[in-house]
Amino acid sequence: MESRFTNWLDERFGWRQVWSAIFLRKIPKVNWLFTLGSATLFVAINQIVTGILLTIYYVPTPDHAYDSVQYITTQLPAGWFIRGLHHWGASAMVILVVLHMLRVILYGAYKFPREVTWFTGVILLIIVIAFGFTGYLLPWDQRAYWATTVGTRIAGTPPLIGDWILKIIRGGEELTAVTLARFFGVHVWVLPATLLLLVGVHLYLVIRLGISAVPTREE
Amino acid sequence: MEVNRLSRRKFLSIATWVIGGLIGTGLGIPSLIYIIGNSLKQNQEQKWVRLGPASKVELGTPTLYKIKVKRQSGWIVNEEEVSFYILTEDGRDFIALSNICTHLGCRVRWVGDQGNFFCPCHNGVFDKQGGVVSGPPPRPLDRYDLKVEDGELYILGG
Repeated sequence: MESRFTNWLDERFGWRQVWSAIFLRKIPKVNWLFTLGSATLFVAINQIVTGILLTIYYVPTPDHAYDSVQYITTQLPAGWFIRGLHHWGASAMVILVVLHMLRVILYGAYKFPREVTWFTGVILLIIVIAFGFTGYLLPWDQRAYWATTVGTRIAGTPPLIGDWILKIIRGGEELTAVTLARFFGVHVWVLPATLLLLVGVHLYLVIRLGISAVPTREE
Repeated sequence: MEVNRLSRRKFLSIATWVIGGLIGTGLGIPSLIYIIGNSLKQNQEQKWVRLGPASKVELGTPTLYKIKVKRQSGWIVNEEEVSFYILTEDGRDFIALSNICTHLGCRVRWVGDQGNFFCPCHNGVFDKQGGVVSGPPPRPLDRYDLKVEDGELYILGG
């Protein structure tokens, strides 16, 4: 790491400072529950990588969605592996995010000065659930179809605006090709863009403010 | 004797890089296989398709046959029609000629009066055996593999 080249680079980039700010920062004595955020980040990266790989073969139209997923799972070498990682990673993501949130609540880590970190975290939780909801439809099998039928119907239950919400989510009265296409678009463009932005803010705040210690009886 | 002590910090740093490297290759190699695997696979195996009794093939005249074959296009299966001419002089030795002109891919047609195959696009002419007689085609008509089993004629083209 101390070669002339890395020194030359560091003079221009200042990456050593960035590195030590991220990885060599001082933290209080904490326990394993404080790794849940990093675990979530790790699974999120897994979802991004495997998700990008799946789009290489997946086609979001009613006549090809199911078959292209079957093709990925049964015909492609390592396709079952990539899809499996994305499938199980999705569940892991929801579980980890909820556990991470519970830790923050129970340790009171959302308090001053970390309120904004908490707010972004809440939005991130909603984004993760939206990822799960939109991703569930994409295999276009019976389970996906009916789960989304029920899910969008639930979204349509509020009085007055319910019907309006239902139609906007489905892209019409019925669950159709339009629904599949927009769920795909939201799943691979809208949600990832928002997620990356908010994860950036979230992590910046974690590093800037430092993490809270385990609360003690005296406090 | 000097004990070569590994500090806790150094150990954790090395462990992080090693585990990270393992996860990276564990995901990286399957990803690469997933992306390039099917692209490098050989074309689908051709199958023998039955055409009917060999004795029914007309002697001395190329006869047009059409078969339907299933072609895999990713996850889509298409049915395609393949046509070709079967020629036998003695009812024992058969040849199957593709009806696709070797010039630019138009369909050639057997004209019995003149005893030649004609391509309507650029006046390519082939003889009964598929050899080039005149016109722009660069090589004779392509041939399919044929076999006769129990008096039945089969073509390799599925």
